[in-house]
Amino acid sequence: MRIITHSCPECGTVVAANELEDNRVMKCPREGCQEVLRFDDLTEEEQEFFLDNRDQYQI
Amino acid sequence: MRGVLLSGGTGSRLRPITHTGPKQLVPVANKPVIEYAIEDLKAAGVTEIGVVLGHKGREEIQELLGDGSKYGVDITYIVQGNPLGLAHAVGCAREFVDDSDFVVYLGDNMLRHGVSDLIESFQSDEYGAGIALQEVSNPEAFGVADVDDQGTVKRLVEKPDDPPSNLALIGMYVFSPAVFDVIEDLEPSWRGELEITDAIQSLLENGYEIDSHVVTGWWKDTGKPEDILEANRLVLEDAERSLRGTVEDGAEIRGKVQLAKSATIESGAVVRGPVSIADDVTIEDGSYVGPYTSIGENTRIAGPHIENTVIVGESEVTTNGRIIDSLIGRAAQVESAEGMLPEGRRMVVGENSQLHL
Repeated sequence: MRIITHSCPECGTVVAANELEDNRVMKCPREGCQEVLRFDDLTEEEQEFFLDNRDQYQI
Repeated sequence: MRGVLLSGGTGSRLRPITHTGPKQLVPVANKPVIEYAIEDLKAAGVTEIGVVLGHKGREEIQELLGDGSKYGVDITYIVQGNPLGLAHAVGCAREFVDDSDFVVYLGDNMLRHGVSDLIESFQSDEYGAGIALQEVSNPEAFGVADVDDQGTVKRLVEKPDDPPSNLALIGMYVFSPAVFDVIEDLEPSWRGELEITDAIQSLLENGYEIDSHVVTGWWKDTGKPEDILEANRLVLEDAERSLRGTVEDGAEIRGKVQLAKSATIESGAVVRGPVSIADDVTIEDGSYVGPYTSIGENTRIAGPHIENTVIVGESEVTTNGRIIDSLIGRAAQVESAEGMLPEGRRMVVGENSQLHL
């Protein structure tokens, strides 16, 4: 399974694509970090791959 | 080498304790389980640690560990989100480990002798991974490794009917970055998860050698209440006596008792170690606290006989009954029903509680 992640540019917290897609726009989950993370922060190819294979990222 | 500490999971086997917090924060000898893992990694020279978080307990774990500076380590958080398996959790750490070897530690596991030997045994130019094994009497219940005389793993078998050895996999691994490529090729198992044993098996099938290290000291997966009690017993057995708190004249203390600075054992109370008593705990007259008991912060013990029990904290135990082999969650009240009519036990019990009356 391809695992897609994104790192917060402010604090380095790594967030899995399924988490980003669930929220679309979210505050960085690191306590105290105010950075806003978006599913759109992933490359277009990553977004497309994730959405095409969304089922395998659900439990 | 960097460390990846897996701290997700729902803690379903530890309910109701985990209804209000992650299993990695349940205390053993008055210290959250996850702190033992951080200390083990630090002792092995691993000071850059990625803590993988699931859905449950994200804030609480971050609140406890912070940036890691209080433990002398540097922590990066990795949010896995959906619990898609241990191999998925490891895969989420790819950016963090940055193409280098890394050690994986399950955040609810405890290992008496830590992971130093496993790390030292692993030579990345020879092996794709290193696994920790322990001899067990019931290998049918575990993932089992078939190893040669040099400790090189030949194959892994999950819960075999006819085990090739009595060496079970425990929750500690060292990986080369090669594992990320095999994880990319893994398919979810029947339970919808990417399994770490499948990743190791794929490494073998791709021609990588797998090192193994047999753990001789105790190892505990603290996933169930009885495991917490057992881990508490094992840790307290190794504890040193330390009486920093107040012991009033007329109190009786024997054995290895750890008494925190602001805790008090009042006159007429009896404490027999090994016992751990946290800050702001009072053991009142007429109470007996016996071996293998840990009492968490801000708790009042007035009258009971307690043995082999973990009290998480913020509680009042004022019954004069006997409490043994018990795990009591935060802010619990255990009171006496004596004199109350009609006679009987009165309970407010949460979902998934277990009572033996």
